[in-house]
Amino acid sequence: MKTNCMSNVENQIFSSYQRNPDLYDEIYDSKGNIKDIYQKLFDIYGGHSIQDYINLNSKAKASFFNQGITFQVYGEDNVQEKIFPFDLFPRIIDPEEWDIIERGSIQRAKALNLFLWDIYHDKNILKDKVVPLELITSSANYLDQMNGLNPPGGIYNHISGTDIIKHKDGQYYVLEDNIRCPSGVSYVICNRTALKRALFGVFNHYQTYTVTDYAENLLEQLESVKPKGVDIPNCVVITPGMYNSAFYEHSYLAKTMGVELVEGRDLFVENDFVYMKTIKGPEKVDVIYRRIDDAFLDPLEFRPDSALGVPGLFAAYKKGNVTLANAPGTGVADDKAVYTYMPDIIKYYLKEEPILNNVHTYHCSRPDELQYVLENIKDLVVKPVDEAGGYGISIGNRLTQQEIEEVRKQVKENPRKYVAQPIMSLSVHPTYIDDSESFEQRHVDLRTFTILGKDKEFVLKGGLTRVALKKGNLIVNSSQGGGSKDTWVLKK
Amino acid sequence: MLARVANNLFWMGRYIERSEHIARYMNVNYFSSLDAPNQISQDRQFVLRSMLFMVGEPDKDSNGTLVEEEVLFKIGVDPSFVSSILNNVKYARENANSARDLISTELYESINKFYHFVLNYPKEVFVRSGLHDFTTNVTEMSAILRGKIRGTLLHDSVYAIIMMGVNIERATQITRMINSKYNDALLSQSDFEDGFRKSFEWTTLLKCAESYDMMRRYYKKPPTSISTLEFLILNPNCPRSVMNALNQFYEHVKILNPERKYNKESTAFLIGRVRSEYEFKYIEEIEKDIKSFIESILKSLEEISNKVDEEFFNY
Repeated sequence: MKTNCMSNVENQIFSSYQRNPDLYDEIYDSKGNIKDIYQKLFDIYGGHSIQDYINLNSKAKASFFNQGITFQVYGEDNVQEKIFPFDLFPRIIDPEEWDIIERGSIQRAKALNLFLWDIYHDKNILKDKVVPLELITSSANYLDQMNGLNPPGGIYNHISGTDIIKHKDGQYYVLEDNIRCPSGVSYVICNRTALKRALFGVFNHYQTYTVTDYAENLLEQLESVKPKGVDIPNCVVITPGMYNSAFYEHSYLAKTMGVELVEGRDLFVENDFVYMKTIKGPEKVDVIYRRIDDAFLDPLEFRPDSALGVPGLFAAYKKGNVTLANAPGTGVADDKAVYTYMPDIIKYYLKEEPILNNVHTYHCSRPDELQYVLENIKDLVVKPVDEAGGYGISIGNRLTQQEIEEVRKQVKENPRKYVAQPIMSLSVHPTYIDDSESFEQRHVDLRTFTILGKDKEFVLKGGLTRVALKKGNLIVNSSQGGGSKDTWVLKK
Repeated sequence: MLARVANNLFWMGRYIERSEHIARYMNVNYFSSLDAPNQISQDRQFVLRSMLFMVGEPDKDSNGTLVEEEVLFKIGVDPSFVSSILNNVKYARENANSARDLISTELYESINKFYHFVLNYPKEVFVRSGLHDFTTNVTEMSAILRGKIRGTLLHDSVYAIIMMGVNIERATQITRMINSKYNDALLSQSDFEDGFRKSFEWTTLLKCAESYDMMRRYYKKPPTSISTLEFLILNPNCPRSVMNALNQFYEHVKILNPERKYNKESTAFLIGRVRSEYEFKYIEEIEKDIKSFIESILKSLEEISNKVDEEFFNY
């Protein structure tokens, strides 16, 4: 039962909330009532005035700044330090839905791992024509050097980030698998910390899983894939350096695992073993959680101009003297074109039906599908297959006639480079917007973090809910003005 | 610990310590000159020149007129002057950034707060009326940082490296202050007898080193050239003395180098040598030629720093 006073205040904070019936709102059911799991949260937030909320919000921001949880944005003539925008209204995932997400994420990670083993060994899936051969051989991320190599523990994608959305049909769909160097997990933990600091009371009413156990699981996993003959492995995290936009995350992970954070220049290779340069001389390194891309890992093997990597690292890896997590060459499997075969890949290796849906995808490399795409650009999202960070994406219904022609021309010129999907409607979530000083609907997605080790699998119970802060925007990447929310997975 | 990161931590310690000494030097000199007993010491130009001398940018044109606001801006908050307090704090933070996984969250947060304070301090307020506020905050924040270093870090090699940086910098800055004030004492000698020995500048020097009160307690007499130098260079119990800093440095290098008998090429050996030289020195020896003595301390400190570099950071 609500008192009058309560509902008055509630009016303040949610009164101007406009619900677009065409969008799937995470906190309302189809009849327009607050869902049960959100009711308590809704009441508690309603108990704050807008002014309270503004104060809390600015405190949370200051806390991020003082903790130095920032990323760099490269402008034309200067580098700016920014905080990742954070929204105080959390997203809740109930145990039943989470169960699907968790099982689905593990299923995909396992299938991808088997797929990678296969395409770098016997290539059965290609021989059986489930996945076209030229799709793999034409991929810029396929590494010939990985052919026949057995990564320690048989694991390629030790860490996977799976981008999942809820469509307006209420179902979860995977938009993308990230199995190169997926980032964002440190924000999951920071978001939780910030929300606890600002509104600790709300946690009294919900039984939420912790997110701080990520680092211990990661370390356990890294140790499980140690090279043969090593007793207690020396694990390190390698970063491109403090000017990298994810440097905070690299240092956070190293700190919470209690391992060294190294740069390429701190390592060297001698007789195919890797060492780091310490104040007491060289110390052998066994497992490297690498946060630099394949191309920069080793100037002797990949890009010769790389100053970030370690000369000879790949040779040491090839000898089995060091583990790289994730393995080189995983990029071939998180390619947007391979994505479209994921349901087949899962069935092929695991003999299971996919737990999470895939968005139907048109391959511009197939003549009939290319034709369909060229004729229907206005109803499709056209994506380059090998770009990260939300760059190069065209959303059909946002384009002018001229822009459509432009996209059509690009696709025609290089069909292999593009795929197209129906425009998915990402679910929306109430999000506090600074400019209007009120809550508005904003599109959200979810990135889950899955760890695969030798006889070990783990999905962080939470994940990063990213919010597209620009009104109507569907792209949630932080480089495109996205923010994030704390994400609660409720206990059963 | 990685050699590169050790280098960064060493310099983090040095920059924190450096920013504090510069801030205190500005503060004490400026405010004690306001009612200084003689004309020269009271002269604003004289004070500004002394500040520039201290940060290693002596004004070349001794007849020109310095603009107060320009000098304060330069030393305090000028982003384009490498030795400004702003840049010292910025470098301290950059060095801390790259060792963020090794130091405590508490220490990092304090450094970060310190940086944002210095960075966001309104520059026009600083040059007009903020000198006291700004510099006292800088000194206090560096004291907080020293507390966090001591109280939140594991006292292992990470701590030892930082403390080596802090102490070598402290010895260096104290020596630079002595040099600068020695210079001022010579310039501001008045006609009457004992002008140099009893110069007002010795009091200022002790205050710059935050050691005035304790010096009075120890000698129970007003400071003179001899007692001041003895206290700030040789007294091992004065926490700001060169001797004390060398002792501390020695204690910490032993954490990295626990052997009993040192290799002749090691830092521990060198610092032990320098230390014993000063331990058995008496002030009358020094007084004969203060200038060369100051130069020889600075030279020894530089040698020690180079040795650290060679032994620990170069793999």
